[in-house]
Amino acid sequence: MNILEAKNITKMFPGVIALDSVDIAFELGEIHAIIGENGAGKSTLIKCLTGVYEPEEGEILIGGKNAMKNKNLFNKIAYVPQEIDLFGYMSVAENLFIPYEKSGIKGTVNQKELEERAISVLEKFSIPVKPGDLVKDISISSQQLLQIARATVHEDYEVLMLDEPTTSLTSKDTEILFDIVKKIKKENKAIIFISHKLEEIFQLADVITVFRNGKKVAYSELKDVDNNWVIRQMTGRELDQNEYFYSEKISDEVLLEVNNLTGEYFTDVSFSLRKGEILGFSGLVGAGRSELMQAIFGYLPVYEGSVKFSGTEWKLGDTNYSVKNGFIYLPEERKKQGILPELSIRDNISVAVLDELKQGISISAKKEDQLAKKVIDTYEVKTPGTDKKIQFLSGGNQQKVIIGRAMACKPKLLVFDEPTKGIDVGTKTEIYRLMKKLAEEEQIGIIMISSEMEEIKKCSNRIIAMYEGKISGEFDATADKQSILGSIIGMNSVE
Amino acid sequence: MGRESEKQKTGNAFIAALKKSNMTAMAMILIIMIIIASIVSPYFLNIYNLQSVLRDLAFVGMIGIGQSLLLLVGELDLSVGKIACLSGILTGMLMVNVGLNPWLCLALGLVFGLIFGLINGLIITRLRLNSMVATIGMQGVYGGINLVITKGKAVTGIPQDTQFLGKKSVGPIPIPFIICIVVLLVVLFIVKKTKTGRYIYAIGNSKEAAKILGIKVDRIRVMIYSFVGLISAMAGLLYVCRLGSAQTAIGEDWPMNSIAASVIGGVSLTGGVGNPAGALIGAAVITVIQNIIVLFGVNSYWQSAVSGIVVVLAISFSSISDIVRENRQKRIKLN
Repeated sequence: MNILEAKNITKMFPGVIALDSVDIAFELGEIHAIIGENGAGKSTLIKCLTGVYEPEEGEILIGGKNAMKNKNLFNKIAYVPQEIDLFGYMSVAENLFIPYEKSGIKGTVNQKELEERAISVLEKFSIPVKPGDLVKDISISSQQLLQIARATVHEDYEVLMLDEPTTSLTSKDTEILFDIVKKIKKENKAIIFISHKLEEIFQLADVITVFRNGKKVAYSELKDVDNNWVIRQMTGRELDQNEYFYSEKISDEVLLEVNNLTGEYFTDVSFSLRKGEILGFSGLVGAGRSELMQAIFGYLPVYEGSVKFSGTEWKLGDTNYSVKNGFIYLPEERKKQGILPELSIRDNISVAVLDELKQGISISAKKEDQLAKKVIDTYEVKTPGTDKKIQFLSGGNQQKVIIGRAMACKPKLLVFDEPTKGIDVGTKTEIYRLMKKLAEEEQIGIIMISSEMEEIKKCSNRIIAMYEGKISGEFDATADKQSILGSIIGMNSVE
Repeated sequence: MGRESEKQKTGNAFIAALKKSNMTAMAMILIIMIIIASIVSPYFLNIYNLQSVLRDLAFVGMIGIGQSLLLLVGELDLSVGKIACLSGILTGMLMVNVGLNPWLCLALGLVFGLIFGLINGLIITRLRLNSMVATIGMQGVYGGINLVITKGKAVTGIPQDTQFLGKKSVGPIPIPFIICIVVLLVVLFIVKKTKTGRYIYAIGNSKEAAKILGIKVDRIRVMIYSFVGLISAMAGLLYVCRLGSAQTAIGEDWPMNSIAASVIGGVSLTGGVGNPAGALIGAAVITVIQNIIVLFGVNSYWQSAVSGIVVVLAISFSSISDIVRENRQKRIKLN
């Protein structure tokens, strides 16, 4: 039975048609995957299906009734957003049952009763925390699972909508999540699964709908199709699955040498990187990879050890020094640490190289604009102009602006921290090609931190695995997946 | 696009200005206020009244412009009034009790302000304190020193040859207002045309991102606190010149008024958004309101309540027009 159905819906924004006459239906007891490139209309669809936007044309039926006339029907849709939006300073139990009215709690809130009810939910979802723990103190993985658990405790939901639920989950937790989702499916709920990860879609979903440029372009049962079919539908073109992106022009010159570095989240780490080389750092969330790179970059403190850059001693603990000497770090938390959200694309780029844009004692607006236009052209940023606030660009385009800004600084060493997080398949490939080009043509040393095994294997000349703050293995590009996986979960150590 | 331009046709120039920025809309409100005031009260456009408005405006404006720089990095300084007062009193004592050259004293007074601001900045950045709580504490310290060194008494007998700075005008324009405009021009140049200014906006958008860009975040924050201290001292000294004496009551309502002025003028409290020129417009709104209240002969007990209400209305103006616009959009769509 179709529990949720969109009939011929069209949603317009000034200048764009975000959704163009879309028909889509979701059945109880079925896992329905939705996929599409950034800007294909997925987010708009979600917002229409959850009642945030009203489409200009068409109707949305929930249980056969027109939901636009009866907004209460949208309570049957439990939506789990991509980003964690829990209350950090409230307990796990409180987070689970807020809003209390929806969880069947009336009158006063009894803390003890809440915690008792929470225990069974936590067990069902295998979340290893106590009901009384503060959410800010539990791991990101647990937070993500908790957020999903929260959506299911409200009594009258029929549709569970998961928006990229695995972005901050370890592979083990992803499996736990998938088991739970399958259980929920057996309880005869409809599940909508939005993801960029093809592997997961094939593992979990029953049917798939593909979006491109605001239109529904394909629908199929997953057992009838393969990876290539999905990518073809998504991008409208063939993508070479066997394309590799490691650098083929590595210099003999050592660029970076890290000796016995110890900090809060990593211990006794040593490695080296040559000019023109792409070095992959693989590991679980929380293995200390980002913290290690941030420490070398000067953002976090180093307790012990030393770093050499092009043979000379490197000053630690000073990001200004790092940037000036050609070391640029591109953060994983793009929204918090990468972009300056309220500023225009132009200002986001120029801020890194103001010295070069001076005319006399003041900054030349003309030079700024020229630089921004150049970045937009070179990196194919999709935007109406340089004046647009960067927060209104899609994730992939924001990432391109940030890469363009980094390149304007003429770097010698680039650290990409999860460069394709939340970015669609087509744009991902563009970013890999760009990394390869930078390494080969500019002889930049590149370090890529990634939790996606496929990506790391495709892009790296060498792969270093980290486990609990220590290097647990080093592999060349031909190493097999199993042994790398073993290292990142601490199964086999080096020597 | 069609829908957008239709709306602009139906909406008036006012909404269009608001779309551009809060500041321009506030400037229009200010003009409307001035027009109404001059129609309703025959005294408003009187040259003496206008001069007194400009003179009052200069002080709130100057401090507001400084405060807006701190708001742009997402911080604020509640000790500006006490810094102004303490700098004024120390300068007055140097002039009257020590008998130094009054011009040297004024220069030293500015240095005192700079140092007090520097102290604020160093405490806040080094000890990683919240600026609001830290400066509440510091205003207690500076205010306390005021009372200890003066025992609550005013320092009178400020030399005549410096008093013109606070009292006289160039043509019809009071000197403090001219200085305020100079401060604004300097600040606008810094904010729009120099690296430091751009970094201020970057820091206000995200301190983390700014640090990753290699910006010396703490150094710039300390610089702004010092600059705000300097500007506060400048306002304090001018006020001493205006009164002819240094009193412990100088600058009591400056912290709150400077923040209100900035917010009215479209500077965001959370940082990264706004223009220091807005603070001057906001200050003008506040000063004109206070002037109108006096001209209308509002009962003096009621004056503070009335001006408070108008300030709240002024800051809610932009959000009210947002609400109106959303509702209108909804109606257009439903029809």
